[in-house]
Amino acid sequence: MTDVPQRPLFIPVILGTTRQGRMSAHAAELIRNELGKRLAIDTELIDIAKLSLPTQDAGQAIKDPRFAAAMNKADALVLVVPEYNHGYPGLLKHVLDSCLKEYIHKAVGIAGVSAGSFGGARAIENLLPVLRELGLITIFWDVNFSNVQKTFSPQGKLLNETFIPQIEKFLNELIWMAKTLRHGRERIPID
Amino acid sequence: MVDKPSLICPQCGVAMNHHSNKLLYPTDMSPVSPIDPIFEGSMEEFHTCPKCGGAASRPET
Repeated sequence: MTDVPQRPLFIPVILGTTRQGRMSAHAAELIRNELGKRLAIDTELIDIAKLSLPTQDAGQAIKDPRFAAAMNKADALVLVVPEYNHGYPGLLKHVLDSCLKEYIHKAVGIAGVSAGSFGGARAIENLLPVLRELGLITIFWDVNFSNVQKTFSPQGKLLNETFIPQIEKFLNELIWMAKTLRHGRERIPID
Repeated sequence: MVDKPSLICPQCGVAMNHHSNKLLYPTDMSPVSPIDPIFEGSMEEFHTCPKCGGAASRPET
């Protein structure tokens, strides 16, 4: 491929849980590593546990400046989302709600994580309408880290290599969408 | 609709591209622009800088 953007795409990976002992951290690190191998892609891991957002819910008034700057710079997002009681973590919603203009017409892909066999599928489905209202464009590929205790060692080593080709397909789609939407945001007027 | 001047990117000084309008409801403490009587919310324009990719918004008037 010679279609290299004039500046690298920036695709941060958001670790969407603050829970102690979270296995999602291993999934987030794996995807960040795979993204880091791509040409003309910049990435970083954003751990929502490290953001200091007050909980007196004031919407965008609680913006974390570093998080908002990263969302402003981003061309696409990867959300790593564990499933808790069939839903996504409430604190992830709290963080996502702190921005808006930074998300408009940007791509988002979701990696679900669960201890059971569905790989966070229910949390992903619940999150889709939220992302749509935030102006993000969801892709049709997900990564589903099912049985996560068997997928990673306690130290984070991947024990199931079949996830690598799944992540490759997921990232291919996300990057295509990121390039396309960047062109649209920067070049194509609404009217 | 009267053409408005383009937003200028504060970083790059170039005209930004207006690529989206979104209906917002005053559900939080963010500043809100006047309520549109047809849509019953406020309409916000979203713009992106073609040079640095930075985002900006302003109320639609």
